[in-house]
Parts: sequence; structure tokens; C-alpha cells
Amino acid sequence: MDLFEKLQNVIASTLKVTPDKITRETLDKDLVAWDSLAHVNLMMGLEQTFDLFLEVEDFTQLTSVPAILEYLREQGKA
Amino acid sequence: MSKRKLELDALLELGTRDALRQAMRQAAPPMLTQIEQITERAAEMSPTMVELRLGVVHSYTSELLDPWLVLAGALEGLDVRIYHAPYGLNLEEADTRSDLVAHAPDITLMLLRREDLHPDLARPVAALSPEEQSVLSSQALERLFAVIGAFRANKVGNLVVTILPGLNGPALGVYDPQAERSEAAWWSALKADIGRRLRVGVEASLFLDLDEVLAQIGREAFFDPRLWYSAQFPFAAPAAHEFSRRVVALGAAMKFPKAKVIALDADNTLWGGIIGEDGFDGIALGHEYPGNAYMAFQRRLLDFQQRGFILALCSKNNPADVEQVLNDHPHQILKPGHFAAIRVNWEAKTDNLVALAEELNLGLDSFIFVDDSDYECALVRRQLPEVEVIQISARPVEVPSCLDRVSRLELLSLTAEDLKKTEMYAQERTRQQLRQSAERNGGLEGYLASLEMVMTVGIDDPAPLKRLSQLTQKTNQFNLTTRRYDELHMRRLIDASNWMVGYFSLKDVFGESGIVGLALFDHSAPTVAELDTFLMSCRVIGRKAESAFFNVLLKRLAAAGVREVLADYLPTPKNGLVTNFLPDHGFAVDANGRFFRDLIATPPLPDEAYPMAIEVAGEAAGSELGQLA
Repeated sequence: MDLFEKLQNVIASTLKVTPDKITRETLDKDLVAWDSLAHVNLMMGLEQTFDLFLEVEDFTQLTSVPAILEYLREQGKA
Repeated sequence: MSKRKLELDALLELGTRDALRQAMRQAAPPMLTQIEQITERAAEMSPTMVELRLGVVHSYTSELLDPWLVLAGALEGLDVRIYHAPYGLNLEEADTRSDLVAHAPDITLMLLRREDLHPDLARPVAALSPEEQSVLSSQALERLFAVIGAFRANKVGNLVVTILPGLNGPALGVYDPQAERSEAAWWSALKADIGRRLRVGVEASLFLDLDEVLAQIGREAFFDPRLWYSAQFPFAAPAAHEFSRRVVALGAAMKFPKAKVIALDADNTLWGGIIGEDGFDGIALGHEYPGNAYMAFQRRLLDFQQRGFILALCSKNNPADVEQVLNDHPHQILKPGHFAAIRVNWEAKTDNLVALAEELNLGLDSFIFVDDSDYECALVRRQLPEVEVIQISARPVEVPSCLDRVSRLELLSLTAEDLKKTEMYAQERTRQQLRQSAERNGGLEGYLASLEMVMTVGIDDPAPLKRLSQLTQKTNQFNLTTRRYDELHMRRLIDASNWMVGYFSLKDVFGESGIVGLALFDHSAPTVAELDTFLMSCRVIGRKAESAFFNVLLKRLAAAGVREVLADYLPTPKNGLVTNFLPDHGFAVDANGRFFRDLIATPPLPDEAYPMAIEVAGEAAGSELGQLA
């Protein structure tokens, strides 16, 4: 499973949407389910899945698939 | 306690909910991404899930608890449906037309912060003098109970009140416990006051102490400050998991048949090793590891006895071997008198469980079976699915806490009867023995007379409200209509002038039964009364108590001008015992298929017709029937 697919699964299970709703370009505002509360769950899901520790400041940056993918690559998770 | 890593694949292979629950109890909390899979797996298992409707009133973010609550529910077989009130301690929700009331919750969970009780609680309590602290307590209580009262006045189910612990320790740090102005002491006293006031003044309410969750998992594991400061959500995964489990446990205790009996295996359960092989001196039971873990488990079982659960022993062994340990082992804590019933033989455990149920006059669905053997646990799960099975861990260190997270061992209330239950069953055993010998020399009548029974009947008396409601919830066998009433509803019937609520207790040479029978009559019509409920605990069966009690109530109705009594028998799989109760008590079937008794043609009998003295007490002023009769 490549990085995007792994991320797609985390987003799908924490936001309770089907994976096909999530593309490499998806932004939070594209999905009704990606609201501020679901975002908190997504952040926790990312931490657990990719073994990360996110700062509150990261929460506010990681609001789109491209931003998260870039962050994961920076963290050497690719 | 150190938890093992959660093995998702192994978990999803498990075949029953109780096995899945148990595996979850011993593991670290699942990851968010695993929750859905586990929830789905638990949801599809049999029996079909029962709905648990939850309303949440909250002054901090609560929505993020949902996946945890739904998971905890599925593990218990409860389909949790959640409504979150608008954010804030919103009294508009305490209204008959609110969305909360429309949700028809079984439980309304109140998630409060300390400062909701009083604005001064946002500042250090240690800054206040003892006198000021005491003023603060009464003001905080007043405010809290105004809010609780407003919700209680509406149909919002059981009210479960919680107060979020402080994110930080007390203002005075490690010195706090010694300080005159100790904050921890102030909170403990306040919590005790809250508990007391809920117990005596607010029906169907419970204080769920989050400090206990905090104590169990630790402050650092409880709070995630990132979530608290960025989203007003306090719970890290371990706290969300454990808190949700506790909330749902209350739902399970409400929705499922009441557990009453803990049926215990002996070898590798009450002690380590096998008495038949390792011998009296070879079993592990004492102050050294692993015997100390089994001693701790026995001590813990005494706690469950205090909650009102009775213990039974169900062991495959030579009876003499087990008896020797129970009577003579220096470190054996549970003696024969701690068990309400004992089966030690080589029969199948399933047969022994059935025999225990018969002896105790309780349904198998009130049994929790505790055993270490894969074989026995699987057999009972397959043959007696109504019995909840707890498999004792092969790791002695996990044994003492193996019953700690069993939802049906949680209480929603505690009555005087609960505390004396084992004693009462032991008395019943003695009575049975006396009965058998009396029947040999002179028959049942002589035996009943030798008991010197005194029945006390109470009418429209709200004092034992909890017990009366509990009787409707717990009694399945000797119960004509099996109608369940919560405390609120029962209180309304007691207060209603057109209902008669009668109960009785029975005393004899061996002891007190506590309140064991209940009857509800609706006498709205001038000369006709309807029997809504008639039930009795099986503990006092075979002593003519039901007839005497029924007769007393019919006499009061007749004295108040009632000429005819209507009644129904609503059959269930469990109440076959009372099929003939109405015909045996002068009732005939009318044209509509209902039972009726004409009190003029078939009048009640004088009290002397029954083998006991009868006293009527506890009449509430304002009950018209009480005054007339």
C-alpha cells in the first residue's frame, strides 16, 4: 500500500466516508464530513497510523490531502 | 495495570461478545482506525443488539466520544443512539418540547466542568477560608441540584451526572492533603454530598465519578492537553475508552436481565492448581506469588457480595477435597457460608448450572459463570447462551481483577435487601432442611406454624421506592404481568390517589426476608379495581405468603367499596409458575377473556385463615384507601 492509499484509509475511517471520495487533491472544505471535530479525530488517526506526534500548530496546517502528504514525506514516512 | 497490545486479527476471530469484551478489557485501547472494524464485528454477533438511547448535555466537546460510545455499546450488544444537546449547560433542553426529550433517552449523560457548579471554582479553592469553603459548597450544591432538578422533571431517562476532574493537581501540590484548606478534601466532601443528595432526593440518578477513571488510568493518560486547548475535548484515547465503557455499563445494567449469581469454579479460580492432583498442601493459596493473587481474588469476591450478588460454587472434584479446603485451609477466605449454593461433583457443568438455578429459584440469565477451562467456558457458551461466561486468565496476576469490568455487575441502586442476600439464601437452606424434617413428622402445616411468621404489609409508602422499582425489574418467575417500572413511574403510582401500591416483608424464626412482594391496583373506577402487577420473590415461595398478602389487599379494596377485581395473566417464557395463581385465588374468566373476581360472592377471608401474623404499616397520609380501610 503506498502512502496515499494508507492516508486515504485513515481519512475514510476517521471521517466515515468511502475511500473513493478522497483524491490526492482533496481539501477539507471539499468534504462535508471533514469538519472541525472530525479533523481532531483525523489528527489522532494520523498519529496512531503513522506513529507521529503532532503539535496543535500542525493541526491547523494539515487541512488537505496535499498538505498531509507533504508533511508525511518530510517526516520520512514515504 | 500494564496492558497487552491489542491484536486486531485475533480479536476479530473471536466468536462471542463476552469473549470479545474480555479480550478488549485486557488490551490497550484500540486505535481510532480499528474502532470501526471491531464495532462492526461485535454488532453482527448474536443476540441481536438492543437499542440504548443516550442524550448528552455537555459544557465541553462531547461529540468526539461517539465512536468510543458506539464501540462500547456494540461490545455489550447495545446499539447506542446518541443525541448531543447544543453546546453549553443549556436549561432549554430541560423542557418537554426539547430535542433531548424528543430523543427519548434511556440515559441522559451530564458532562459538567467544575466551574459549571460555581464561577469561583475557576479559581483556587485553597484561597478560601474554611468558612468560605463551606459557603462555596452549599452554593455549588444548590446550583448543581437546580440544574439536575430541571432535567429530572422531564422524561430524560436515568440521569448520569459527571464532573470533569481538574487538568492539574490541587493548588497546594504535594502539601495539599495536610493543608487545612485542602482542595482534594473539599472536592471529596462535595462529591459525598452530591452522592447523598442524589440517593435520597433524585430518582433514577447516578453520580459517575470521573475521578475514578482518572485514578485508574492516571492524569497524564487521561487528558490530552492538545485536544483540550484546541478543541475543548478533554479525553485522550484511554480515558475516552474507559469512560465510554462505564457509561455503557450502566446501560447494560438497565437493559439486560439482572445478574444475581456469580457461579465459580474452584481449581485455578479460587486457588492455583488442582486440589485433586496437587493436594491440600500443593495448591497455590497464601501470601506468596501466585497464591496471593488467588487470595486477592477471593477478597474481591467479598466486594461483589456487598453489591448484592450471591456466590455459588460449581466445581468438578471430589466433594471431600473441596470441603477440606473451604473449611480448613488457613488462607481460604470464602467459607461454605459465603456460598448460597454449592455443587461439587463430576457431572457436566451445564447440568450443575441448571441445578443451581433450580435450587436458587433464579433464571439462568441471572448467572455469571467464572471458570479457567477453555472446554467448560466453550461448553457453557454453546449450551447455555443466556449465561454470561468469564474465563479466568491463566496469568495469576490478572485473576483478582477479572470481574472488575463486567457491566452487569454494576449497580444502579443498592437496597438493604441486597446487602443481606447471601445470609437470606443461607437461611432458606436451613428452612428447607427444617421443612423436609417437618414434612416427615406432621406435614406442611406444622412446619409453617413452626416458622412463627409475621407478615408486614405496607400501602402507598414511598420509603422503599428503590426496592419496589427493583422488584419489578428483577422478578421474572412469580410475576403475573412482568411490567417494569422505573423509580419515577413507581413514585407516581404511589402518590396517585387512584392507585394502591402494596408490598410485604416476612419475618420468621430464622430472620427477615426484606421486601419480597408487590401488588399494584388501579382503582380509578368506583367499584372495580384492576390488578396491574402482582409479583413475589421466589425466596419466600411455598409459605402461603402470596395468598395472605393478596387477601389483605383485597380486604382493603372491599372495605373501600370495590366489588369486582379484574386481572390478567400475561404468559412469558419464565412465568409459568403463576399460570394458576388467579384461578387458585377465586378468579374466573369473563366474556372478554380477562380474569375477574366478584368480591361480594367470593369475599376475602379473615387473617386467621393464613399461617402467619399479619400487620399493616407504612400508610401514607392522603391515601384515601388507607384511611377508609
